[in-house]
Amino acid sequence: MKWLVGLAAGATLVSAWSLSSQAQAQTAPSCPVKIGGILPLTGSMGPVGKRISDSAQLAIKHINEGGGIKGCPVEFVLRDDQGQPTVGVDAAKYLVEVERVPALTGTVSSGVTLPILTSVSVPSKIPQISCCSTAATFTTLAQEGKTGGFFFRTLPTVKTQAYASAQIAAERGFKRVAMIYINTDFGTGMVKDFTRAFSKLGGQVLKTVPYNENQASYRAEVNTALAEKPDAVFFVAFPQDGATMTREWISLGGTQNLILNNSLRSPEYVKAVGARFLQSAYGMDNASVSSPYVEAFKKAFQAAYNASPDGPGIYNQYDATMILGLAMNVASELNGTAIRDAIRKLQDPNGTVVGTGPEEFKKAMALIKERKPIRYSGATGPVEFDANGDINGAALIWTVKGDQLATERTLTIEDMAQVFKKIDG
Amino acid sequence: MGLVSYLVFFLIVVTIFGILTLGLNLQWGSTGVFNAGVVGFYAIGGYAFAILTAPARPELIGNLGLPWVVGIIGALAVSAVVAIFVGLATIKLRGDYLAIATFGIAVTIQLIALNWEGLTGGSLGLTSIPRPLSGIFTTPLSYNLFYLALTAGFCLLVYWALERVSRSPWGRALKAIREDEGAAIALGKNATSLRLQAFVLGSAVMGLSGALYVSFIGFISPFDFLPIITFQVWTMLIVGGSGNNKGALLGTLIVWGLWSASGTLISKIVPATYQTQGGAIQAILIGLVLVLTLLFRPRGLIGEEPVVSRHVT
Repeated sequence: MKWLVGLAAGATLVSAWSLSSQAQAQTAPSCPVKIGGILPLTGSMGPVGKRISDSAQLAIKHINEGGGIKGCPVEFVLRDDQGQPTVGVDAAKYLVEVERVPALTGTVSSGVTLPILTSVSVPSKIPQISCCSTAATFTTLAQEGKTGGFFFRTLPTVKTQAYASAQIAAERGFKRVAMIYINTDFGTGMVKDFTRAFSKLGGQVLKTVPYNENQASYRAEVNTALAEKPDAVFFVAFPQDGATMTREWISLGGTQNLILNNSLRSPEYVKAVGARFLQSAYGMDNASVSSPYVEAFKKAFQAAYNASPDGPGIYNQYDATMILGLAMNVASELNGTAIRDAIRKLQDPNGTVVGTGPEEFKKAMALIKERKPIRYSGATGPVEFDANGDINGAALIWTVKGDQLATERTLTIEDMAQVFKKIDG
Repeated sequence: MGLVSYLVFFLIVVTIFGILTLGLNLQWGSTGVFNAGVVGFYAIGGYAFAILTAPARPELIGNLGLPWVVGIIGALAVSAVVAIFVGLATIKLRGDYLAIATFGIAVTIQLIALNWEGLTGGSLGLTSIPRPLSGIFTTPLSYNLFYLALTAGFCLLVYWALERVSRSPWGRALKAIREDEGAAIALGKNATSLRLQAFVLGSAVMGLSGALYVSFIGFISPFDFLPIITFQVWTMLIVGGSGNNKGALLGTLIVWGLWSASGTLISKIVPATYQTQGGAIQAILIGLVLVLTLLFRPRGLIGEEPVVSRHVT
């Protein structure tokens, strides 16, 4: 066990050294200012995470071109969570304690974001903005006061999609709906919120059937749902599994009144099922509001990476990073609590609207210097956090026309606010 | 202070994984039982602890809100009981067949955790799992120092106990079975029973490790128990030196250190524009170091001590 003793001795030496070096670092913000990022760059979420991290890097570039933070250039310290909670937590702890980042952005899987929040961000009082974690647990924890207000996310919760789907189902006159859903926090959240909303709107969810991913057949799940003879069926699934179960559903004589979640809005899904079976189907997705700032972001991303930003989390991660950049300029000092409070100040209803890109960031800096209120309107549209750090967004209803995906209509944030009011009272 | 605070955190994870690796060393290093389902028993310990100690919620049948100590004892007991049943069904399988069976069982356990929502919270997991004495400490660092003392204490206790048993007649019988099962049976040892005993004891130790992890993080979900954990623990044991408890602990320190240090290194040396590719470089780096260790130190960094009768000079 000699090595343990050696390690302890080493740790003591290092601590003495870091104590002496810290004494000098307490004055004005030392350049560069750091922002910590944790995203899955390898592992099963790797392909998604890479594009998201490109988006974060673009935001950092825009912040730097727009004047940085408190006169300092910004350094983005990015770590890979490998889709593994232990790795993500370790990386977060390193960023907070050793790199001393005053704020974090990350990560994708709720199963990684949550342990980082409970074991690093909240105890160390560091704000954490996630682009992509959908679990309802975050809202519950915030309501119980266990996040200390340090958690924010820039994608609408599952609620927006669930409520929009319920609203359209009611408009189409469906009364009895069955659901087959992927057994993840996303799927269970959708079931809970849709059931609640649909029963408030006069419908009834007859049966909810969970499924596990990557199976060759979903006949058992389909038969269970089919036995209830519903008016419509709601598939909460990813394209490959979704196509398998839709084909089985239709070949076993199920109704073609299909309700589909946002992941199924893909040409591969339509092709795999056959467009002629999807003519009376509809689905919903989070809509990005049309605004010049959304367009500016699209153009900037296209120019920087020669790729379209239309993929999961890309718009949301840009906003998460920009919000940190703005809030750190607004905050009186660069510590977690001040930044947390400053994030709330970026949505002043009387504030001047600032958007995406370096020029808008420069404009924001000037306003902040004059202590004028600002309101951020980002790549996903206006961003307004509620008390739990969640945002509500606009929703879009899509259908299949001929063999193409089409947008039937958009439910704006105002429309959604009405739907929310009708359901939640 | 920052670095110390991080190191304390890092060592907590190392000691928790260390206990897990010690459990595997008893099974594989001493007895030759090829358990490829390490993460399954780690998960059982973690869930048993969480279900026993987490505060009650109306939608869950578990969450009993019992004291921390009860959670730890429960985790040990439940993982031992599950190991007895798994062992009775599979222990007669040899080598790779046992590996396939235990791997399947670990995946099954993870899927049960994902699907039995009323008990495990399903994909949402269980939150607000209590940390022992968390009210007493005011800063994260002081709390983590306390928790490190706790996990290091458990780690040393398990280490000491396993050292004792592996030098006992029982431990020698295990090694005899590992080396030549036929010969051990010919000498009157009940090989199946001894293999089962080692399997159950090792799995209970793994369960303890899971409980300590969950109590530290305060949250549990099925994503904590992906098969990669089994791979990491095996790597720790093989790099450190299978059959040697010190080797198991050293391997844990080195492999987990490599895992997090390579991430740090990448974020330091790779220019910002290529950071996105850094994750892939990190994975390659980890693989490279592991392959080199195996090529140059095939028995691990500290291999098994040769066991020679003290009457031979």
